[in-house]
Amino acid sequence: MLEQMFTVAFLTTFLTSSVRMAVPLIFAGLGETFSEKAGILNIGVEAIMLSGAFFSFAATYVTGNLWLGLIGGMIGGMMVSLIHAVFSICLRKDQTVTGIALNMFILGATSFMFKILVNNNPDFPQISTFHKIAIPMLCDIPVIGPAFFNQDIIVYASYVLIILSTLFLYGTTWGLSLTAVGEHPRAADTVGIKVYTIRYLAAMINGVLGGLGGAYLTLVQLGVFMENVTSGRGYIALAVVIFGRRHPIGVFLAALLFGAADAFQFRLQAIGIQLPSQYLTMLPYVVTLVVLLFSAKGSSDPQSLGKPYIGDAR
Amino acid sequence: MKKILVSLLVVCMIFGVTGCGSSENAAGEANASVKVALALTGPANDGGWNAVAYEGLKVVEEEFGAEISYTENVQATDMEAVFTDYAAQGYDVVIGHGFQFGDPALKVGEKYPDTKFVCIEATAEGENVASYAMKCKEGSYLMGVLAASMSKTGSIGMVSGLEGPSLIKIVEGYKIGAREVNPDIKIAQAYTGSFTDIAKAKEAAMAMINGGADVLSHCANQAGMGVIKAAEENGLLATGDSYDQNVISENTVMCSTVYNVPILIRAAVKDVIDGTFEGGIHELGMKEGVIDIAPYNGFEDKIPAEVKDKIADLKSKIISGEVVVPDVVEITN
Repeated sequence: MLEQMFTVAFLTTFLTSSVRMAVPLIFAGLGETFSEKAGILNIGVEAIMLSGAFFSFAATYVTGNLWLGLIGGMIGGMMVSLIHAVFSICLRKDQTVTGIALNMFILGATSFMFKILVNNNPDFPQISTFHKIAIPMLCDIPVIGPAFFNQDIIVYASYVLIILSTLFLYGTTWGLSLTAVGEHPRAADTVGIKVYTIRYLAAMINGVLGGLGGAYLTLVQLGVFMENVTSGRGYIALAVVIFGRRHPIGVFLAALLFGAADAFQFRLQAIGIQLPSQYLTMLPYVVTLVVLLFSAKGSSDPQSLGKPYIGDAR
Repeated sequence: MKKILVSLLVVCMIFGVTGCGSSENAAGEANASVKVALALTGPANDGGWNAVAYEGLKVVEEEFGAEISYTENVQATDMEAVFTDYAAQGYDVVIGHGFQFGDPALKVGEKYPDTKFVCIEATAEGENVASYAMKCKEGSYLMGVLAASMSKTGSIGMVSGLEGPSLIKIVEGYKIGAREVNPDIKIAQAYTGSFTDIAKAKEAAMAMINGGADVLSHCANQAGMGVIKAAEENGLLATGDSYDQNVISENTVMCSTVYNVPILIRAAVKDVIDGTFEGGIHELGMKEGVIDIAPYNGFEDKIPAEVKDKIADLKSKIISGEVVVPDVVEITN
């Protein structure tokens, strides 16, 4: 059994599968990082992803164009995130409750809209998906090459995004303003930073990226939409953000770990390991708990996370 | 002594009166339409397990003029509440579509003895609780025969959803069928723990493909879509589950098991209407037309005649009872 696991072919396919499973988490995690750094705790990542998955599918299904689908997914995610933003920034409602309510609402809303979308279609509704594009040279690196550099355009976009967000958050005035708004909005306000504007922008980025995470499932991995297609990935994304300590590279590595946990347990089952399947399907969640246990000390939470800002209060 | 006699008389009278009353009620109900409720674990439009149950409910509505109602996405924690709701509203038959509904039905069944509880694919049995199970293993057995016959690598794979008795029986039946053809065949199996997570089911199938499997099968409802997608992407073959899934990928899905759940639900409701309803476990299979296999569609010419003959032969033997697919409820390797 062990000799089956330490071959180049096994490691390559295992890592490839880990990357595939990680990509939706990377996007959603990155989006939530922006949101939380600006002080908005959006539990509704699941809703954002599901909305992104549905609208990307719907746009492609109707127009037949994958790029329009991608845009549809971004808008779908952004709409949900903006609802959360209005509730938490303008109306100053409890952010956690709003997020949970959105998760439940969007689950119902997307399946209802899906029913309407395909109701009169006797054929099975599906769309074509994005193709893989191998990056010359890089994809020839053993093990890592096929896993990271023989993927589709959305996966490559995630690499670029990780680098750009790191530069943005830690190297630009805009990024520092965003962090200031999340840490101490009053202080930020006094030096002339527009707290509300930045929080709204962060929420929009969260929606766009989370929507992309959901769109990845429908436009790349599956080519179909089904009720609850995200199946709880949004919650894992929240854990990814905390474990990644709200740093884009941390989020990337954390997402990869979760992807790997899933990829690994399916491989163990396929090999025919003598363990109850429940233990194996539990693996990603056990990893979540263990990881949260270790990342608990020295919290990286922004100081004003989850707290609404009241501009004119004293 | 007198007092006791009097109170006994009173008790007798009360029972007598209520006895009369209930028999009148029963007579009245026979004329009125029967009220049938259905609880589903997933969406009624999942194109699989839950969709066929909904179809069955529609059949009951049309054929028996039943008054129907249904609830989608019932989680394990809400099953008792949903059942209690329907029973309290006076539904005559409450159907839970899935083995998970067994225990809630027994609990609620005690409180509402006049309501008949029907659990599909469950193992619960009580005075007013019956489980109507399909011999799904008969279908998966034939899929195993087909998969093993069509595999060139001698390695096939089966992806299932949650690990439960009815799913294990399907997977094990599949293995028995496959080994009937090729005793040395390598069969990879996976339980993903979810009936909705298509991407996970696809990854499980990819892991099997990476391990050399060239024919893939599933019994994971909606999530099984991912298994077919994985086979399609790699130019491999698959078998479908629940209904003719050739529509999903016409060059991938060779054949599918067909569960005529409507026939099963109709049979259960008819038993109640005819007054022949009995608590216990009722198993229906190919003989009753509940289990079948889909046509080969575009694979009619691609599957060798001797394979098709073998499957047709086995099918008729299952119907006649000559071949009995054993019940295996423990996962084997």
